Amino acid sequence: MNVADSRDQALSLLTAALNHADLAVKLSSLKQAKDILSSLDSSSAAVLFPYVADLQRSPHTLVRKFLLEIIEDIGLRAIEHSAVLVPVLVAFLRDVDSDVVKQSIVTGTHFFCCVLEEMTVQFQQHGKVDQWVQELWMWMVGFKEDVFSIALQPGPIGIKLLALKFLETYVLLFTPDNVYHEKFEATRGSRRTFNISWLSGGHPMLDPVALTSDANRTLCVLLDMLQSASSLPGAVTITIVNCLAAIARKRPLHYGTVLSALLDFNPNFELARECHKASIHYSLRTAFLGFLRCTYPAIVESRERLLRALRAMNAGDAADQVIRQVEKMIKNSERERASREIQSVRDDQASSQAYVLGDVSKKRSMPQDNEELTNSFEMASKRIRSGPNSHSTPPTHINDSGQDFSSVNGASHNFPLSDDNLTPVEQMIAMIGALLAEGERGAESLEILISKIHPDLLADIVITNMRHLPKSPPLSKFGTLPTTQQAVNVNSRAQVVPPPAPTNSLHSPVSTPQLPVTSAATTGSSISDTSTVNNFAADSKRDPRRDPRRLDPRRPAVSVGMSSTPVLEDTGTAMSEFDGSISNKPLSVPVVEDPSVRSMPNIQSNDKIIEGPSITGVEQPTAEGDVVGGQEDIAPIVEINSSSSHSVSPYMIDVDSAELKADAEVKHETDEPLFPESDQEFPGSITESSLDETGRDLPVLPIYVELTEEQKRSVRKSAVQQIAESYLHLYWSDCNETRMALLARLVGQIDADDDIIVMLGKQIVVDYRQQKGHEIVLQVLYHLYSLTVTISVDNSSYSAVLYEKFLLEVSKSLLDTLPASDKSFSRLLGEVPFLPDSALKLLDDLCSSDVFDVTGKEIRDAERVTQGLGVVWSLILGRPNNRQACLGIALKCAVHSQDDIRGKAIRLVANKLYQLNYISGEIEQFATNMLLSAVDQRAAGAEFMQAGSIDERVETEVGSGDASTSGSQLPEPRDSGVDSNNTESASNSASVVSFPEAQRLISLFFALCTKKPSLLQLLFDIYGRAPKIVKQAFHRHIPIVIRALGQSYSQLLRIISDPPQGSENLLTLVLQILTQETTPPPDLVATVKHLYETKLKDATILIPMLSSLSKNEVLPIFPRLVDLPLEKFQLALAHILQGSAHTGPALTPAEVLVAIHDIVPEKGGPPLKKITDACSACFEQRTVFTQQVLAKALNQLVDQVPLPLLFMRTVIQAIDAFPTLVDFVMEILSKLVSKQIWRMPKLWVGFLKCVVQTQPHSFPVLLQLPPPQLESTLNKYGTLRSSLASYASQPNIKGSPPRSTLAILGLANDSHMQPQQQQQQQPHMSNLHSSDTSSVRGATPT
Amino acid sequence: MKFRYAMVCSSNQNRSMESHYLLKKQGFDVSSYGTGTHVKLPGPSLREPNVYEFGTPYKHMFDDLRRKDPDLYKRNGILPMLKRNLSVKLAPQRWQDNAADGYFDIVFTFEEKVFDMVLEDLHNRDQVLLKSVLVINLEVKDNHEEAAVGARLALDLCEQIEAVESWEDSIDDIMISFENKHRRKLMYSISFY
Repeated sequence: MNVADSRDQALSLLTAALNHADLAVKLSSLKQAKDILSSLDSSSAAVLFPYVADLQRSPHTLVRKFLLEIIEDIGLRAIEHSAVLVPVLVAFLRDVDSDVVKQSIVTGTHFFCCVLEEMTVQFQQHGKVDQWVQELWMWMVGFKEDVFSIALQPGPIGIKLLALKFLETYVLLFTPDNVYHEKFEATRGSRRTFNISWLSGGHPMLDPVALTSDANRTLCVLLDMLQSASSLPGAVTITIVNCLAAIARKRPLHYGTVLSALLDFNPNFELARECHKASIHYSLRTAFLGFLRCTYPAIVESRERLLRALRAMNAGDAADQVIRQVEKMIKNSERERASREIQSVRDDQASSQAYVLGDVSKKRSMPQDNEELTNSFEMASKRIRSGPNSHSTPPTHINDSGQDFSSVNGASHNFPLSDDNLTPVEQMIAMIGALLAEGERGAESLEILISKIHPDLLADIVITNMRHLPKSPPLSKFGTLPTTQQAVNVNSRAQVVPPPAPTNSLHSPVSTPQLPVTSAATTGSSISDTSTVNNFAADSKRDPRRDPRRLDPRRPAVSVGMSSTPVLEDTGTAMSEFDGSISNKPLSVPVVEDPSVRSMPNIQSNDKIIEGPSITGVEQPTAEGDVVGGQEDIAPIVEINSSSSHSVSPYMIDVDSAELKADAEVKHETDEPLFPESDQEFPGSITESSLDETGRDLPVLPIYVELTEEQKRSVRKSAVQQIAESYLHLYWSDCNETRMALLARLVGQIDADDDIIVMLGKQIVVDYRQQKGHEIVLQVLYHLYSLTVTISVDNSSYSAVLYEKFLLEVSKSLLDTLPASDKSFSRLLGEVPFLPDSALKLLDDLCSSDVFDVTGKEIRDAERVTQGLGVVWSLILGRPNNRQACLGIALKCAVHSQDDIRGKAIRLVANKLYQLNYISGEIEQFATNMLLSAVDQRAAGAEFMQAGSIDERVETEVGSGDASTSGSQLPEPRDSGVDSNNTESASNSASVVSFPEAQRLISLFFALCTKKPSLLQLLFDIYGRAPKIVKQAFHRHIPIVIRALGQSYSQLLRIISDPPQGSENLLTLVLQILTQETTPPPDLVATVKHLYETKLKDATILIPMLSSLSKNEVLPIFPRLVDLPLEKFQLALAHILQGSAHTGPALTPAEVLVAIHDIVPEKGGPPLKKITDACSACFEQRTVFTQQVLAKALNQLVDQVPLPLLFMRTVIQAIDAFPTLVDFVMEILSKLVSKQIWRMPKLWVGFLKCVVQTQPHSFPVLLQLPPPQLESTLNKYGTLRSSLASYASQPNIKGSPPRSTLAILGLANDSHMQPQQQQQQQPHMSNLHSSDTSSVRGATPT
Repeated sequence: MKFRYAMVCSSNQNRSMESHYLLKKQGFDVSSYGTGTHVKLPGPSLREPNVYEFGTPYKHMFDDLRRKDPDLYKRNGILPMLKRNLSVKLAPQRWQDNAADGYFDIVFTFEEKVFDMVLEDLHNRDQVLLKSVLVINLEVKDNHEEAAVGARLALDLCEQIEAVESWEDSIDDIMISFENKHRRKLMYSISFY
């Protein structure tokens, strides 16, 4: 099918679509037509476009909607022919069907972007725009107007939402995103890559200024709609919030505006109509969470506010989660960057310089890197905010930072003369003049920019103005100085072009002679000095505060360069100074005075301002470029460059320098309207109200007053004083940061010996939390500190004094006013730029020294100590440079004489600090020294030396070196404790340590042992030589350690397997603790057994293990156990009988008794006395060694051959203890008779005693004795005879004993002999008897 | 049924699938997704969940769990749930990777976190189609019973949305009356494709 055929077919299809009655046919025809049109090349298809457009008359919604799709599909591909189609889009915006309108908006939006892009491309490529595009564009502008009115006027909400989306798109298109350009190109679809930053101006339709301000107006429309949300449906409100959030996230330039609008937005309004409030609330929450996800600095800086807002809507958790995610991301990117930097430093630096330079390069290059990384974090907010501006600054600016960067990276550069740059202040001054000359348009820009100014620079400029005011009295020299000319010039401009209301106030300060413009132009060198210093301060304020650890190393390096700045008078010196230096490079720029050197367009314009007549030429463009942060600067740049006779530097655009410039502009504009009073207060020290008046009645210039140094001082003083006095009445919490920055600078100018600073400190603390006290204090301190390190020597000393004074005052006031649980003090010390000795001293006092209240009574608040130690801890973690000093404080507290302080400090040291590997060695050393000092009786003297050394260390670390005399004499802290000095001093002092003293010294070490068991070795090593008191202290502490070690006692096992000489007691104690209430583990048992078998023959150590030993293991050592002192044996006995849960007791009680009896005293075993004692010990435990037990044991024993020596003794004891055993004992006795007991002399005595003692039960046994033995017995114990005889004479018995026995009893023949014999025997026997029984009884006291 | 629906929960197993199942049965044009990084199913203990990649077929999970501990997973309803799921579609899908599935008119989420993630994800897409999308969060606890209740509520809501001429005009009323009727909190937002 050829083209013509296709065309014809399409035409007929289109006609059918329009005219056919059946909708289905219409649609299918349309579809086919669309396919054909798509297949045709654009020019052929274009012929049919009028027919396509004709379809808009169709009454059918679906047809019209489909038409729009066709238009989008084919029109965008043949944009040059779509002039016929575009009007359809505009017409459909008023269609009755909302679907058609919606589709029309969508299609129109795509056309809008497409046309815009086409136009830009044409203009860039050919320098002109084709007529057809211009026509299309006019349609598109009409389309835009219509969509805007849809958004604003009531109508179907679905359409409205799309219109709002178009508004968002519009704002995005015409707000520069250059910094983030790459990112967007990468992430967006091809259609919408257009951005205003492509435009360079020059075409009336593509005027960036107009378009941008249009975008700003559009944003304002959205913001206004938000304001009036009460009358809007919920869906619209939510969409507005979402659109604003999207704009803020994608265009940082608008972030501030949008954020404050959203924060101020209160959805709890009384609704004109019902809408779903929870969802509106939630849309805010979603927006804030989305902001938190962004990592560009403006947003990061507002994190606190976001978090506050989110917490207020109960979304704190979600917020924290987002922040954690983001920080993780940032950390990753930072790590990457850091490694890259290190790499580059390594590559470029000579090795000797590597370290220092590395540091510097990190500082200098970081921001630049950040610019590249769009999602960077540490960038100062001003960088970002002005980011978009930077794009528009002339490339020449870049030299500065480009140069800076490269010099940092090592290749030493000579300073290119041409690349001097303006300080932000100067740039602002130049800009404001230009902006004012702009008239209305400039005013508009000013207004927008005011909301985006960074407080630091603003404050800098105010201060700069103050400083330079007196030098150029304007009225007297009118017309002669360039200054005045300029001022008048600007002034007259301001009058000629009557600005709109807001601008009026802006103008007022400009017209006064104390303008930065003047000062910048005339006193270049001094200005640059201030502004760079301030600038530096501003910088230093941010970076280091984020990470205080980085602060100190970097600071000195920078300060070298800084301090040299003010001294420099001309370019020559500056050059020579700067040649070798790295960090000061940017500083030199403003110092350069010689106009011939200036190639920068900016400076050119500046020069021209001074010259007066030529102002207009340069000012106009500059100002133009300034509208809304100067996005449209590109056009002016061209002009400037051409007017400049100097070559443009080849360096690429660098955001850093550019942004400084932009910043300057921004700041300058804002500072006047906000702070007219600070400007003018200075010369006249007029009160605020009068100032305001002056501000309003602008044309009258205040009378210039030349002040003496003295007066100046007093004026500064009174300024601060007023602020301090009225502090409570000011609402700092809702004031902007500028006020703080300003206050910081004012404080920086007052004299060191003034008490105002003290007063101010006190005032600030009064309402610390509500009033943003922390932020203010930090501002002031950072500023003072920056002065300390940057200004020349004499000045720095006074600001150092001021710094210290202020810090101390605030710290003390914080401690006095806030409760100990408050974290402000800790936060303050953690975040200040530098901690002077006195602050550390304060901390030290807080932790350990006695505190006295006003009445001189000693007060010690345990919570304060906790607070102090908490601060110490956080400082150790966060401030490496103060680490030693803080560690000193902590350690000092860890050996404090008061238990509670010591306990807290030890917990801190052992649990937290000791885990930090960079100080663990030191802690260990200190603890060891303390321990040794206790053991070696070095007592108090040595300890004080230690404490002293800590104090001195503190000084040497922190102090400026004045303290080095005492420091050099320090005993090396890492020396192992026992050195001759110490011992000597110890011998001089009282030699015996008291128990509390010993505890004080050793507690820390014991606490460390729980963390590091290997330290236990030392304890065992020195135990032997420790004095008794110290040993007691050891005993007190060791259980805690051992228990804390729990299962991880492998170290302990090693010690147990080879205990040092003299540590036996300790070892025993340890074993006892280890086995208490638990079964000793096998490895421990094995170790101890091995020890017993090899080295240590003392059975004592086995006692704790006994319960785990088996019978076979216990029996061999049993004699040894018996041989131990009685108490130990009793303990051992308990262990043996207790046994373990698994195996039961090693020996039963009966077995124990048998075992005791088995010991043969002669064989080098324990003496007989020990054995009897052991027996007695058993009998004492009547609950264990019961009747049954005894009977069992005796039964076993009686069968032994030979009978155990102590057998009879035991029998007697048994019967004594349990009289009911008597029958059993009689059986034993008769067994013994049958064993011919009389043949065993030692036992025979016992036998007889027993018999006598147990009469009359023993009579039957007696009667069993053979007559000779009976005879001798009766002879021995005469008393027996009669009772035995009377027993035997009983009829039932009389028959059984043999006759010979009866004969002995005299029952056989004559019985008269009996009494006689009895009388003979009695005295002897009774003696024996009584003594024997008593001895038995004595042994068994039961 | 004029709209395309998406049901979104974190793992695209329980809540989103329950309502996917129900709406599908009622003839809605519906898809379902999860926003998590992985698909997580309960395991033998709280600390040992069964973790799968999105895209792993339900059948695979079913077999896997049946092999591991059929009693446990039958008892806690996981196997029946997977069986239900595999009758609805092949495998769990991740919301963040669904760009190819075209645009949806209405998206239901069943958890605030998921709601946030869907909105953040939509924000990060190239919003070139300029097609508005209504995202509704209906808080539903992640258990079988609640999921069933939640699905019915979602269906109810969908029917109401279908019933009106344009949801943009009546969404506030729908939300408020639904909340009053069911005593359930709702949340909606509007984004664009």
